[in-house]
Amino acid sequence: MIRAFFDNLRLAFGTFVAHPLRTMLTLLGIMIGVSTVMTMMALLEGLRLKVNKDFSQLGANVFRVDKWPQGFRFGGGNRMNWNKIAQRPQLTVDDKRALAEHCPSVSRTGASSWQPAQRVRTGDTETQANVFIIGATVEYPELSGITIARGRMFNDTEEVDGRRVAVLGPDVADKLFPSVDPVGQEIRLKGRPYTVVGVMARRGKIMGMFNMDNQVMIPMTTFFGAYGKRRNVSISVEAKDADSVDKAMEEVIRVMRQRRDVAPTAENNFEISTNESMAKSLNDLSNVVTAATFGVCLLSLIVGGIGILNIMLVSVTERTREIGVRKALGARRLRILAQFATEAVALSVFGGLIGIGIGFGLAFLGRWMLGLYTAVPAWAVLLSVGMSSGVGLVFGIYPAARAARLDPVEAMRSE
Amino acid sequence: MLIELTDIRREYQVGTEVVHALDGVSLGIARGEWVAIVGQSGSGKTTMMNVIGCLDTPTGGRYVLNGKDVSRMNDDELADIRNKEIGFVFQNFQLLPRETSLANVELPLVYRGLSAKERREKAIAALKKVKLDNRMMHKPTELSGGQRQRVAIARALASEPSLLLADEPTGNLDSATGEEIIRLFEELHGLGHTIVLVTHEPRLAARCPRAVRLSDGKVIGDGPGQDVAWQDRAQPSAHPAEAPVAS
Repeated sequence: MIRAFFDNLRLAFGTFVAHPLRTMLTLLGIMIGVSTVMTMMALLEGLRLKVNKDFSQLGANVFRVDKWPQGFRFGGGNRMNWNKIAQRPQLTVDDKRALAEHCPSVSRTGASSWQPAQRVRTGDTETQANVFIIGATVEYPELSGITIARGRMFNDTEEVDGRRVAVLGPDVADKLFPSVDPVGQEIRLKGRPYTVVGVMARRGKIMGMFNMDNQVMIPMTTFFGAYGKRRNVSISVEAKDADSVDKAMEEVIRVMRQRRDVAPTAENNFEISTNESMAKSLNDLSNVVTAATFGVCLLSLIVGGIGILNIMLVSVTERTREIGVRKALGARRLRILAQFATEAVALSVFGGLIGIGIGFGLAFLGRWMLGLYTAVPAWAVLLSVGMSSGVGLVFGIYPAARAARLDPVEAMRSE
Repeated sequence: MLIELTDIRREYQVGTEVVHALDGVSLGIARGEWVAIVGQSGSGKTTMMNVIGCLDTPTGGRYVLNGKDVSRMNDDELADIRNKEIGFVFQNFQLLPRETSLANVELPLVYRGLSAKERREKAIAALKKVKLDNRMMHKPTELSGGQRQRVAIARALASEPSLLLADEPTGNLDSATGEEIIRLFEELHGLGHTIVLVTHEPRLAARCPRAVRLSDGKVIGDGPGQDVAWQDRAQPSAHPAEAPVAS
């Protein structure tokens, strides 16, 4: 049995060596399919690991109250009614204060609002128009995993009075003040001067895309003055300890509903999200992308399989005489079937292995050249090997069965 | 008896017509005999060769080969019988072009499930018998016609079969090389091998100790080679196919 398998394997490799170009071309389909699976899985897995890491950087025991649902949602539950959500009342700094006051299980609350795509200037240089301006209350940094690397956070007085002070993200600081200490320097936002009081510690990018270091944080009151008063805020709520998070959430929901006079039967007109729920929604997204990618890759594997089917039919036709001789000399049907099935499977597994190699190569290249966070999951390797051998077997079995059915006398007569 | 054919019939359906390729053939061949089966084309000798070689099953009658009734066996059982009992020598050699002489000779042994070492030993011994042990690593394309046929004979001998079955073994060879192959058969017969040789050439059949003549799927002659081989020529009138075609 094992001897027959190795004999068949040797025959298969003999065929590949005899037709190297044909073999390579046939492999191409499987190779492309598998390397696409591998590369995409590496990217998605990298993304997933990174997202989980990024989100766990947020403060401990902290959840958020938002007007808008966070992240993306697919399947399960009701479809989101965007119009209805848009009509929800804004969250305000008053809400933030009320939550701190009326929820016994809540230790602190913070509020933030943001304005994207701003240009930050100094007397002689400026950033690109891609800086996030964050309006924040003093509690916000600690509740969001932001630490101050140099200088200090603005204080309560500065926040309430609407002073023009700023805490820079490290990228902004590096860009504007490459050679001097930014603390104490002056920057300009929308033409108005701000004094830099601190610089945030580096945090990196969320999902490798959103740069959390390219930000400028200013007092909430100042932010309202500069960018508009009636702005919606996001409220970060810190529970007293890990055990009271659920209780704090209940209290927050009750207080918010009271403040907004929500009828007992109506749904919440705000969203509660935790680090986990945000990470989960992004994981859900990555699962959908994984499934979609998979579908595409499966198609290319099927195309590759058709290539194998085609070449195996050619191979069987070409070797009709050989099959006849083998059968005349005592090869059983199953043996011939196994010979050609082995050839087809070897062909596609060979392609699969090359594809896995290419996938690893591309994942490594992506990390090395583009700085992408990639990780090849072990299950993707196993799956690729499994799928390619499956494709070989499925598409190889018909030509092999045709070979096995040949009548030796007829077959030997063919030319 | 090594071979016992009893009232063997082989019918083919060609369209609506039934062709009797073998029409009740009974024949016995003893171990160590060298028998030629002769006949014109269409006489049924190819069907006869396929039936004796277990490549085809008769539609009627009984065929006992080496004590086993092979006339009702299925494909895989027949494959095993071919592998163990019969050494084939085909007219056009039927060697695998991509493999070396040695690998070609090993082929039936592969299907017997022997280890690589045993296969090699037996194949080398068989190639020695046909004096081609100096061409073991040559591929068929690198060999002359006579050498190819000797490789084919070595392949037939390698599995130590009870019967050597040769189909027009000199058909694709010039007369000198053909003679060389016939001598090899004579030698093998001398060593005690049972040989059945299917041919349409009377000169070849005349060299065999015994010849069986087929016509229209029936045995019409069975006796010493010299007698049966020329039977046709002696009685041309009995065979319309031999009569000159009127133009």
